[in-house]
Amino acid sequence: MADFLSQYSIQRWLEMCPQGYLEDTVYGRGAEEHEPEELLGDEDLLESEISTTVQLVVGERCALAASSGLINAAPDFPSKRFLATQTLDEARHVEVFTQRLYDLGVKKGDLESTVDRYANPNLVKFAEVLLEKVDDGDFIAGVVGQNIVLEGMAFSVFEMMEAGNRDPNPKFAHTLTGTIADERRHVGFGENRIGALIREHPEKKPEIEKMQQEMTFYMLATFADAFADAPPPPPDPERAAAEWHGTDLATATPEEMEAVLANTVLGEFKTRLGRIGLEYQTPVGVG
Amino acid sequence: MDELEPHSLGDEEFDDETHSFEFWFGAVEGYLSDRPYGHRPATVEEPLDKRERDRLITTLCNYCTGETAALEGASGLVRLAPNHNAKIFMATQVVDEARHLEVFLRRLADLGVSDPDAEIARRANPALLEFKAALLALVGNEDWSAAVFAQNVILETMEYTVFRAHADNADPVTAEVLRGVISDERRHLGFGETHIGRGLADGSADRSRLQEVRGDLEAMVLRVFEDALDDAGVPPDERPELGRDYLEAVDRLGMAL
Repeated sequence: MADFLSQYSIQRWLEMCPQGYLEDTVYGRGAEEHEPEELLGDEDLLESEISTTVQLVVGERCALAASSGLINAAPDFPSKRFLATQTLDEARHVEVFTQRLYDLGVKKGDLESTVDRYANPNLVKFAEVLLEKVDDGDFIAGVVGQNIVLEGMAFSVFEMMEAGNRDPNPKFAHTLTGTIADERRHVGFGENRIGALIREHPEKKPEIEKMQQEMTFYMLATFADAFADAPPPPPDPERAAAEWHGTDLATATPEEMEAVLANTVLGEFKTRLGRIGLEYQTPVGVG
Repeated sequence: MDELEPHSLGDEEFDDETHSFEFWFGAVEGYLSDRPYGHRPATVEEPLDKRERDRLITTLCNYCTGETAALEGASGLVRLAPNHNAKIFMATQVVDEARHLEVFLRRLADLGVSDPDAEIARRANPALLEFKAALLALVGNEDWSAAVFAQNVILETMEYTVFRAHADNADPVTAEVLRGVISDERRHLGFGETHIGRGLADGSADRSRLQEVRGDLEAMVLRVFEDALDDAGVPPDERPELGRDYLEAVDRLGMAL
């Protein structure tokens, strides 16, 4: 354990992240990059992007609360130290996505009302399930919820959005590139640290699997809502293909996008949960 | 960012600018980029005799205790923070405090301490442990203003003062590590003074409650001060002036008892 956790020191994080892939970025992207004019000039598209970005802010606020809240429950200094770096990573994500809302024209004074207006209720429920475990000081369940389920979801969502925005919106795609690199680290910690703890506390499995089941239910409901509201892609013969897990995101319908995202995230869950000795639980109707 | 003078900004713009990851990174980059674990690799270790080494280990064990309190306090405060900027600032403070703990633990390892947890448990100053429990109780009770006052004004002023005095008397490696930590503490203290000062001005912080917190913590703080300065080898004739630094910082907020 000691060797694995030594990979997550503050020093290494400083060298890899702020002094590494974030060097020379401003709010996670190039200093001269802007949102495309076509987006800023299209009211419907702009509202859809604001709504999408609000979900990212809601997810990252939850991750910030969870990672900072788990520090005091962590059983050893190396885990506390890793969670400290994750806390600042999540704060940075909140910052860059909040900045994107400002770039899309949201006034600073309207930030909270905009988040309240567009936040998906199912995503809010998803966050509440996780934060209940954090509030209880349940380190094992909290890390599974945060670093496997939430981060696993975020990782795939960001990857898909990055692939879909690479051509039409390089500024946003670059913002996402840095967050994907962070999430990869977080998921890696969850898998490595928690596998050992679950082997030590097998009695925790049923409760953790129930949490995963509930979080997955609300995640899928969030995806369903998000894609039901999404406008179909405008026909654009010049737009480059954006292949992601076998689907061209440049031409896919909202239904196709929802399907590829949900299948990818669930596939990842099954793999990652299996690695830590948990069995994926298919969601059923929740309260 | 280099050309910006944050103090020329209004309150809201000041917070947007200084309570951000971007500002934090710009600040730490200058003094951490060429200093893995807080000091330049080329800085030469000065030989310490047995007594000096033992005294330094005790001092570092107490620094670790203080930084653990600060890490646990700051992490608990992220969720209590009343707005976006305060949350982001607290997140930067969490990673600063974890870094301090990391560099002090590393220094203990350099000095040959193989079981730092046991060493810290054996040498931790009881008054500092009492202070830590009191701080975490304020955080646990979600008493934001009182916890920020205890953490970012009282604890940070105490650490800032002790670290500065110690850096002037320490071996070259420890002194360099301490100077990086001091730069962070200055930022944390600035947040505490600004935030509490504004809270007292607009009525969101209760002056009598903060005076009560100061009264509760003062005896512990002064005991920690005396012991820490003793362990750090700060000459007795410098101590009244250092105590004055602490009292002035608290009094600046109108917290006279």
